[in-house]
Amino acid sequence: MLTATLGRALSFSLLVFVALAATAAPKPKSAAETRVPGADQVRSTTLANGMKVIVWTDRDIPNVALYNWVRVGSRNEVSGITGLAHFFEHMMFNGTSKRKPGEFDRAMEAQGGSNNAFTTDNVTVYQDWVPRRALDLVLDLESDRLANLSFDPQVIESERGVVYSERRLRTEDSNEGFLAEQVQGTAFIAHPYHNPTIGWPADIQGWTVDDLRKFFKTNYAPNNCTLILVGDVSADEAFALAKKYLEPIPRQEPPPPVRTTEPEQLGERRVVVERDASTPLLYVAYKAPAANDPQGPAINLLFSILTEGNSSRLHRLLVEEKKLAIDVGGQFQEGFDPGLAWLLLTLPEGAKVPEVEAALDAALAQIVEQGVTAAELTRAKNLHASGFWKGLATIDGKASALGAFEVFEGDYRKLFTSPATYEKVTREDVQKAAALIFQKAHRTVGVLQSPPQAAASAQPASSEAKP
Amino acid sequence: MSARIPLRCAALLLAFCFSVAQAAGTEAVGVKVPANQRFVLPNGLTVVLVPNKEVPLIAFSGFVRGGALADPAGKPGVAAEVAGLLDRGAGKRTAFQFADDIEGVGGSFNASAGAESISVGGQFMARDRALMIELLADALMRPHLDADEFAKFRDRDIEFIKAAKDSDPAQLLPEYARASLFGAHPYARPQGGSERSLAALTQADVAAYHAAYFGADRTVLVFAGDLDAKWMRSALTAAFGSWSKAKGALPKLARAPRVEGRRVLLVDSPGSVQTYFWLGNVGVDKFYNGRPALDLVNTLYGGRFTSILNTELRIKSGLSYGASSRFTRGTVPGEFSIQSFTRTEDTGKAIDLALETLNKLKHDALEPAMLESARAYVLGQYPLRLETAAHWAAALADLEFFGLGKDFIEGYGPALAKVDLAEAAAVTADAFPRPEDLVLVLIGDAAKIREAAAKYGPVTEMKISQPDFTPN
Repeated sequence: MLTATLGRALSFSLLVFVALAATAAPKPKSAAETRVPGADQVRSTTLANGMKVIVWTDRDIPNVALYNWVRVGSRNEVSGITGLAHFFEHMMFNGTSKRKPGEFDRAMEAQGGSNNAFTTDNVTVYQDWVPRRALDLVLDLESDRLANLSFDPQVIESERGVVYSERRLRTEDSNEGFLAEQVQGTAFIAHPYHNPTIGWPADIQGWTVDDLRKFFKTNYAPNNCTLILVGDVSADEAFALAKKYLEPIPRQEPPPPVRTTEPEQLGERRVVVERDASTPLLYVAYKAPAANDPQGPAINLLFSILTEGNSSRLHRLLVEEKKLAIDVGGQFQEGFDPGLAWLLLTLPEGAKVPEVEAALDAALAQIVEQGVTAAELTRAKNLHASGFWKGLATIDGKASALGAFEVFEGDYRKLFTSPATYEKVTREDVQKAAALIFQKAHRTVGVLQSPPQAAASAQPASSEAKP
Repeated sequence: MSARIPLRCAALLLAFCFSVAQAAGTEAVGVKVPANQRFVLPNGLTVVLVPNKEVPLIAFSGFVRGGALADPAGKPGVAAEVAGLLDRGAGKRTAFQFADDIEGVGGSFNASAGAESISVGGQFMARDRALMIELLADALMRPHLDADEFAKFRDRDIEFIKAAKDSDPAQLLPEYARASLFGAHPYARPQGGSERSLAALTQADVAAYHAAYFGADRTVLVFAGDLDAKWMRSALTAAFGSWSKAKGALPKLARAPRVEGRRVLLVDSPGSVQTYFWLGNVGVDKFYNGRPALDLVNTLYGGRFTSILNTELRIKSGLSYGASSRFTRGTVPGEFSIQSFTRTEDTGKAIDLALETLNKLKHDALEPAMLESARAYVLGQYPLRLETAAHWAAALADLEFFGLGKDFIEGYGPALAKVDLAEAAAVTADAFPRPEDLVLVLIGDAAKIREAAAKYGPVTEMKISQPDFTPN
């Protein structure tokens, strides 16, 4: 569809897992299989201003993938400026004291490069994919926008419209996006994970140039960034360019830590959204630990067993056998702070939501009580293994994986030991993870369906059910 | 988020991926088709093997000719249902066993129907190569096409169309648009069927399709990755050697005429806060002579972030999150399309702007610097699209489908290097429609945009809840 040229801004918070999904672990049948070719080529350095630079040379194609991971996301926002991290991401392409708005993209494309960026609850990530001959330019451009960003009031107004259009696309005109926002907002009452990454509408319309300036100064310190370069570049070359262009940017006070922690949830929460819907939605979000929790691999394997592929437990039970859902998805949403683990069900027209919920609850209770089979665990480990290798087949996948491990796990080298980490997970570990996650008192249940009147007049099999 | 693909993806997607190459005055990119082995079995099955040992995986990509083109009259969606059922029970395995055996080893298998073929693809760990070939042979030669599985799968496909209307109406724009633009031509058919057409299908339709159109001589399979060509050749010969040729002749595909004048299809989605719009006409085919020049011009017009379209609709005006254009290229000309969206109140403004950009493109000469920028861009991005074994499997399957040689890839750079302004002007005149000759499709709140829509031509209106992609 449109995504090829739409450019930046996967603001939908759950999409962080696009990056993380590629970092799962392989099943090491033999030592040779877990050894990642070229892993010994990865080198890193920390510039004098605190910016860490990680380089993985891979000369298969004459290109380089550059990722700048900034440790700021919507969790760093407060009331009144929700959505600002994401809006800021847009503004990072819109001019500096040296370059006019638009010049960043024009210059990069004219030398054969393309770029994008995305914002999540936790991080903002800038991505460039360039031919090696454009490396110098790209480092110059990245440095310029970190050092000299400027804010043109006219551009701010125009970009506000772009972001609102993005919100309409993903939230207002999307039942899925709308319900996910409501569930997340209900699950967190204190912690800023309460806020949607795209921002509440009034804030999108209201933020000011002063808000932007403050946000930049606080969060875009070089010591709050991690730069990854993967591709046709040596570590020495990359370090030299980073020293030349990025090291002169002065270190700053790092952003203040997020103080608020979410108090323990004492009882199930429910949110019902009434919107015209042919296919009702049932989203269940359980409180889950942070990304670096030692139980993370077991939780990921648990969710793979439950929802990954046509032979997964919940797909087989709810979609194929009972025909209660048309689609079942699941995701452990890993972040810096304890977050959510989601089950996302799309239901057929005319579905009785309580009946679906009862079947889902029974299946989850069963996994808590009886655990998983050896075959299920092997299957999940093998799916992770192939995902790991597919992720490492491209310079982009390598840059994404290195960054995710460095930022969320504290050390990029954990990427290379993750196969062994996943291999060690036992059936008992998965059962323990199930018991940890699937606690009714810690969940938020979201239902989206047509208002009662519309639902009553709908003929389940009729094509006219959506008024 | 949950992976959801309500309408299975068109086989023609590849056409766009190849719009890239090598620029004059810069380093030679040297994109070379990797060494490979190609052979044809006595029954006509074509196989291509591409060894590449970077990661311990084998990717495959292939097709069986047919697709929506072979759907029986009035029954769009048959090929799509056949594709979807290939892995839902085949050979000695039930649907569950088939999925479990694939996922149990961390493999993947997918199949979908496009306009002119059913394509298959997937990836397995290299150690599971024997299982991969067994499953692929079962899926293509011995699918059960079981009545219960058919009913379940078909019912769910109907629900997926409804779900798309609930959460991603823009995704359906091309279905409405092709139906309107191509009329009686096979490219008009919704490749995944419509709610109405799917509801009317029977298991017999699916079985009849497979019996008539599947066969070794209609099929090409490309494997790329950590493979031993000798072993693969012998295993594939054993697995596919007994497959017969296809029995039914495929319909011939005529060229669809370009639309003259303008007409509008307005799809009413009450309460929608944005209008999702599509403007287009019949464009070019895969063999179009001016391909390098056209790719450069479309890159400039609507193929990258700083394109003329995105600059006007997003960067300068803030009207939309994005605007783009593309050519879909088949055996005969597919569609040229512009796609974007804006809030309901700005519908007329955004469409006016889009038309204005097209008008300028048709009348104003390109600056030499723009052409150079597009050339560098296309060149610079090219290797990223041919990086992995899976990329090459898909690329070589595409060449096989259209009967193109490797020069289509390797000769493209030098051809691109030679494109000059005169050539760019010639393809702009030839392949891009005049703004006066367009089909427009708008999905939005009709009560609020009916008046704006009427400015662009005679309007036909339908409701998004209607079970077809055409008004009647």
